[in-house]
This record gives sequence, structure tokens and C-alpha cells, in this order.
Amino acid sequence: MSSKTLKLPEAGQWPDKLVAPALIAGAVLSTIGFLMAFFYVAPVGGATVNGAELIGDVMVSQKMLLSQKIFYFHMPVAITSFIALGFGCYYAVRFLMTKNQRFDTCSRLCLEIALLFVVLTMITGEMWTRFEWGVWWSWEPRLTTYLILMLIVIAYFVLRSSVDEPERRATFAAVVAIIATIDVPICFMITRLIPSSIHPVVLREGGMSPEMGMCVGLCALGMMLIGFVLYRARFGQVRLTQRVDALKETLDDER
Amino acid sequence: MNPILADIYSTILPSAPYIIAAYALLWIALLVYVLMIYRGTKKATAQLMLLEEAVADQQKKAE
Repeated sequence: MSSKTLKLPEAGQWPDKLVAPALIAGAVLSTIGFLMAFFYVAPVGGATVNGAELIGDVMVSQKMLLSQKIFYFHMPVAITSFIALGFGCYYAVRFLMTKNQRFDTCSRLCLEIALLFVVLTMITGEMWTRFEWGVWWSWEPRLTTYLILMLIVIAYFVLRSSVDEPERRATFAAVVAIIATIDVPICFMITRLIPSSIHPVVLREGGMSPEMGMCVGLCALGMMLIGFVLYRARFGQVRLTQRVDALKETLDDER
Repeated sequence: MNPILADIYSTILPSAPYIIAAYALLWIALLVYVLMIYRGTKKATAQLMLLEEAVADQQKKAE
């Protein structure tokens, strides 16, 4: 592919015009989602109690699980991490096709955002696991596959820091980014593939009430928009740094 | 409190610290990342200003 026809991602292009509205929308949606989670969506019931009581206008015979409220942000950050990995894989493939370092930069930043959201998924998941299961960690299939995903993304950055030659580093990193993305559908489907898994499965018929679905949807959209804003802000910063470095090199060469 | 109601609400208070921690850590991590971007941008902008000064000096010397 010739460099004349190749359109490279750059700071200041049209996606940057969407940053301010995306930030506002992301903040508003995640705030509404947060408020809905605690004040609109009814608490989920746990173990049955010995009797029933009228609360509001509903007969309740189960323990109320406030811990389930973590789910309204846990699932959206997990989805955002998957999307960031998807984009990272896309840019990795573009790099392998064109060998243009700009795509490597984009892929690296997508994986950085993915790592941030993977860590957030782990933090929120751990808090729920600690309370509900009484342990900090369980070798449950969903947790294990997601841990593998996190380790692959960490390995991506370890690999990058251990190879000096830019093209080799970018090529190896692109391959690891693609491998990480292959783990995404495995993570997503594992609770269906291994029915004995104790991890809750919610994205199927009857798994969520319409109110829960709406709340998760708003939070997911909010988190995706925040992820997009973070990516564009980081991309702008990295491109500025790269330009400064290039300028320094030019000045040094001239001296 | 009525023992049945007490049983229904029994997990609310014990789970609260975990919920607060999950939400607080989530927003703190996002904020830390934003601060990292902000500091990086500030540093690059300062370097750019220094480079502009260096270029201006070079041009003066060349004249």
C-alpha cells in the first residue's frame, strides 16, 4: 500500500470533535446509571428467609442482595475492555499489513485502555467475590479465562519494553494483541461452554429484568464513551510527545 | 426489628464496604489515568516551548 493513499490516524482529526460531547454524555449516562442502580432497580433476592414481609407493595421472602449493585458497573467495564481489545487487534492487523508505526501506536494505546478496564473489572469483581463467595479468588472458569486475558495484556507491555528495535517490537506486540483478542470470545462464552460454572450468566433470556437491562445499558454506554475519551486524550498526548521527540532529533542533526 | 425483616436486610450492611470500595476504586483508577495523561501533556507542551525557544535562538545566530 502506498503512503499517499494510506490515511493515518492523527490527533485533531474528526474523532477529536466528538470528545467533548462524548465526555459530557459519558459522565451523564454513568451518573444516571449509578443513581438508577441504587434508587430505581429493585434489589435482587438471595437465600429464602423463614417467612415473608410486605416491603413497599411487594411481598419479600428472600434476603436482599445489595452486593449485586456492583454488577451495574462490573459488566460495563468488562464490555469496554473487550471493545478496546477489539480495536487494539484491528490496529495490530493494520500495522502488520502496512508496517506503519502509527498503527502500532494506536494498537498500544487501545491495549493500555483495555488494561485499565480489565483492572477495573478485576477490582469490581473481586469486591463482589469476596463478599458473596467469601474468598478473594476462585479458580472458576470465567475468572480464570479473564485472569489469562489480563496476563496476556500485561505480557504485551513487558514484551514491548524488552525489545529495542521499533519494527520488531511492533510486530511481536501486534501478534500478542491478536492473541489477547482471541481470548475475548472465550472469556465471554465460557459460562455457556462450561455449564457447571458458578459465575452468574445474565445475558440470556430471563437473566435480567428490563429495568436491570436498561441500567446496565446506560452504564455500558457511559463507560464506552469514557473509554473513547480516554483513548483520544492519550492519543493526543502521545502524538504530541512523538512530535516533540522528532523535532528534537531534527534540531540535534542540524547542530 | 421484626426477625423476618432483620433476616431480609441482614446482608445489606455487611456488603456496604465492598460496594463502596468497588465504586471508589473504579473512579480513583480512572482519575489516576486522567492525571497521568494531563501530566504527560503538560510535560510535552513545556518541551515544545523550550524547542521553540531553541529554534528561535538558532535562527538569530544564523542571521
